[in-house]
Amino acid sequence: MIIRSRRIEVISRKEFEMIDLTPQVEAFVQECAVADGMVFVMTAHTTSSIVVTEGVECLERDVPLHLERLAPKNPEPGTFGYYHNRLLDFDGRLGFNAGDHLKSILGGVSAMFAIENGAVLKGSRQRVYFVEYDGPLARTIFLQVTGT
Amino acid sequence: MKGGIDFHTHPVLAREMVALHPELERAAREIFFVGNNFQPLEVMLLEMDLCGIDKAVVVPVDATTSRNATVYTNEQIVEICAMSDRLIGFASVDPRQAGAPEKLEHAVSTLGLRGLKLAPAFQEFSPDDPLAFPVYEKASTLGIPILFHAGLSWQPGAKLKYGHPLRFEDVAATFPELNIVLAHLAWPWVVDAVALALKYPNVYLDTAALYFDNPVDFLRYAMTQQVPLTVFERSLRKQLVFGSDNPRIETKAMAKAVRSLGLSEECLELVFRGNAERLLGGRA
Repeated sequence: MIIRSRRIEVISRKEFEMIDLTPQVEAFVQECAVADGMVFVMTAHTTSSIVVTEGVECLERDVPLHLERLAPKNPEPGTFGYYHNRLLDFDGRLGFNAGDHLKSILGGVSAMFAIENGAVLKGSRQRVYFVEYDGPLARTIFLQVTGT
Repeated sequence: MKGGIDFHTHPVLAREMVALHPELERAAREIFFVGNNFQPLEVMLLEMDLCGIDKAVVVPVDATTSRNATVYTNEQIVEICAMSDRLIGFASVDPRQAGAPEKLEHAVSTLGLRGLKLAPAFQEFSPDDPLAFPVYEKASTLGIPILFHAGLSWQPGAKLKYGHPLRFEDVAATFPELNIVLAHLAWPWVVDAVALALKYPNVYLDTAALYFDNPVDFLRYAMTQQVPLTVFERSLRKQLVFGSDNPRIETKAMAKAVRSLGLSEECLELVFRGNAERLLGGRA
């Protein structure tokens, strides 16, 4: 049984951005030389997601924008607000990114793929993305391969 | 509009500087009191790009007497400014330390820093205490602005009384050639800060205010309800500068809040650039 972990860093360059992690995930699986097993991908951050979707530019725009509609950074005045908008004494600043935390929950923070004959088992259209809701920021993603 | 200037940032999360000076990690966490992750300097510049900000003033705080610490030394500010020509370095001195005026002169004349940052509540002195006047006199002689923390400070132990705008009146009145910027709109005393700026043309205010809700809602409250927006637009458009207080408030969030207020394009040009350029002696 092989269990190997890695942390990779990406730098988002926009406030909302989808960054295709598929090449890094596949390269790590190759490097681990596991024939059969699983690869686990998880963001280390609570204002970002890991999602699996088709790798096209239009969806890369639609996904974060739709999540922003569901959980906006600044709700329309008079509609609703967030309890998170308060001093966070452990951070020395106000939390005013509750919408980004909620988008992270809606999008999910991890993905898992089977490894078959040394390759990541996924649909022909599927890509694994890091989704940024609060960029630009340097972000860490955890990868772990388990298998034989 | 040409790119703007963020007149108020603290480079405490710059990863490159923490790698060079490990003591800056403690300064960020335990002295400056911020919990966000350290980031490459590139991230700060990317964020500035995102919101049309060309340059940022980066400030240290010398809290030798009150905390036995500095949050960046003047030399470290010079060091980070060497990493990007988009950063404008300010100095800090501790008015309660002997030799503070001479240290300021060295920081400006020799190190090339462009202004002075003082945080009276954090440094534990009253702005109108005569002990600080030699520092003000030196700043006036050197022709540099002072960016004062004013109003409420989140830092533990930093007393509100040292941030009240009226504590700055003697400074403004005694040194009419010295430009002083009261940060954070001196919240909650926005009316008092505005009164001071209306009376003294050498008093400026910066926009870096956020004490509840979010930047858009908070600034709308402070700059349209506490004081009518027309006061800023008509009377103080040449005395208001854009500042974010990054990393306590992201530059992108504060820029969005300022632009959402409904100020005219002419006023926004002054707030985001013209007034800061003038404070910096006409060159940014």
